[in-house]
Amino acid sequence: MSQVFVNDAEIELGDRYQENGYVIVPVANLGEFQRIQNLVVDSVEVVLGAGETDPASLLNGIHEKVSVGELNSFRLEMIRRMNAESWFRSSYFDLARPTLERIVGNELAMQLRVNLSIQLPEDEGSLLPVHADVWSGDSPFETVVWVPLVDCFDTKAMYLLPPAADKELRNNFGQSVGGSSEELFQQIKNEVVWIEIKAGEVLVFNQNLPHGNRVNKTSETRWSMNCRFKGVFTPYGDKKLGEFFEPITLKAASRLGMAYQFPSLHSDPEE
Amino acid sequence: MSGFQGYVTSRPVQGFRVPQHVQNLVIRNYCETREMTFLLSGTEYAIPGSSLILNQMVDRLDQLDGIVLYSMFQLPEQAGSRRKIYDQFLGKQKTMHFAVESLSLNVCQDIERLEDIWSVFLTMRDIPNIQDQL
Repeated sequence: MSQVFVNDAEIELGDRYQENGYVIVPVANLGEFQRIQNLVVDSVEVVLGAGETDPASLLNGIHEKVSVGELNSFRLEMIRRMNAESWFRSSYFDLARPTLERIVGNELAMQLRVNLSIQLPEDEGSLLPVHADVWSGDSPFETVVWVPLVDCFDTKAMYLLPPAADKELRNNFGQSVGGSSEELFQQIKNEVVWIEIKAGEVLVFNQNLPHGNRVNKTSETRWSMNCRFKGVFTPYGDKKLGEFFEPITLKAASRLGMAYQFPSLHSDPEE
Repeated sequence: MSGFQGYVTSRPVQGFRVPQHVQNLVIRNYCETREMTFLLSGTEYAIPGSSLILNQMVDRLDQLDGIVLYSMFQLPEQAGSRRKIYDQFLGKQKTMHFAVESLSLNVCQDIERLEDIWSVFLTMRDIPNIQDQL
C-alpha cells in the first residue's frame, strides 16, 4: 500500500500547476483584495485629482488621463504608494496564501516590493519581451503571484508557454531561438496560452516558463500586480535575501534550529 | 553636524565585490529619494572581520541623525555584536539604514525582521548559487 501524505485537493492543485504551468483561483481574502484595490484607486485620485467612484471604470480608462509619456513616472509613484503601506504586503500574501502553501510550502520568502504593471491600449513602450525569470537570474524555485485589478483577456492579459511546449523549446533551443527575443516569440506564438482572468482572482504561475505580453489591442488599460515567492530554505539565484527576498513565515522549529549552538567547552565572554 | 553618514567597505558583500564609488552612489540615491542629508562615507578597513570604523561611527552617533550602510550584510557576523550596535542606535534614538535592501532600523520591532534575514542568510550561504547548477 502506498503512503499518501497529501490530500486530494493538494494533489489536484499541484498536478494542475505542473501540467499547465499555472493555476487561477479566487482571491483567498476578498476583503483584503478590495482594500488593495481601494488603495490604488485612492492613490490615483490623489495623484491625478480624478474623482471617479467606480474602480473598474477609473482603472480601465486611465489611458484617457495618463499619456504614454507620463506613464512610467505615474506607475512608479503608484508602486511607491502601495509599498509604503505597512499592511500592503501581508494583505497581498493573504490573497494567495492557501494556494502558495499547497504549491510552494508554508515557510516562505517574499519579494520585498510588489510590482505594478499598467499597460495602456496601443502602448508599445511597456512591453515585456518573451522571457523566463529564471533566464534573468531568478531561482527556479520561485513562483509568481499575479493579481489583476481589472478583468484581463486577449492582449490585455499576459501569455505563458505551457510546460510541454517549453520542454520542446528547451530541447531545441539552439536551433529555434533565432537572433532576437521577437524571433523567439514568433517561434512560439501559436503555442502560448493567453491568460483570461478576472479582478478578484489570482494567478499563480511558474516563472521558469517563457511568458510576456504584447501590444494591448483592447480598448481598456491593464492593471496587474506581481510578486515572487519561494520556499525560504530553497536555493537562491541572483535575487538575494535582503536585497530582494525576506523570510515571512519562519516557524518555531526553524528559528530554534538556526539559533542553536553546541555547548562550548571554553568560556566565551562574548556570548 | 546633522545628517546621515554613509558606510562602505572594500570587502565582498554576499560574495560580490562592489566598487566603493558604486556603493556611494547607491547610498546617495537612497538619501536623495528620502530627502535625507548625506554626509561623506566612512570606509571600513579591509582587514577581515574588522568593524573598527563602524564602531567609531557608532561612538559618535550623537553628532549624526544616523548611518546609511550600503548593505545590511556589512554588519558584523556575530549576532551579539550586531545586537550591541542595534541597541546603541535605539538607545540614542538614531536610525540605521541599509541602502541596497531599502530597509532600516527605526524601532525595536525592526530588529526581528533584520535578524530573520540574517539567520536565513547564515544558514543558506554555503549553498551554491543555483544558477551554477542549471
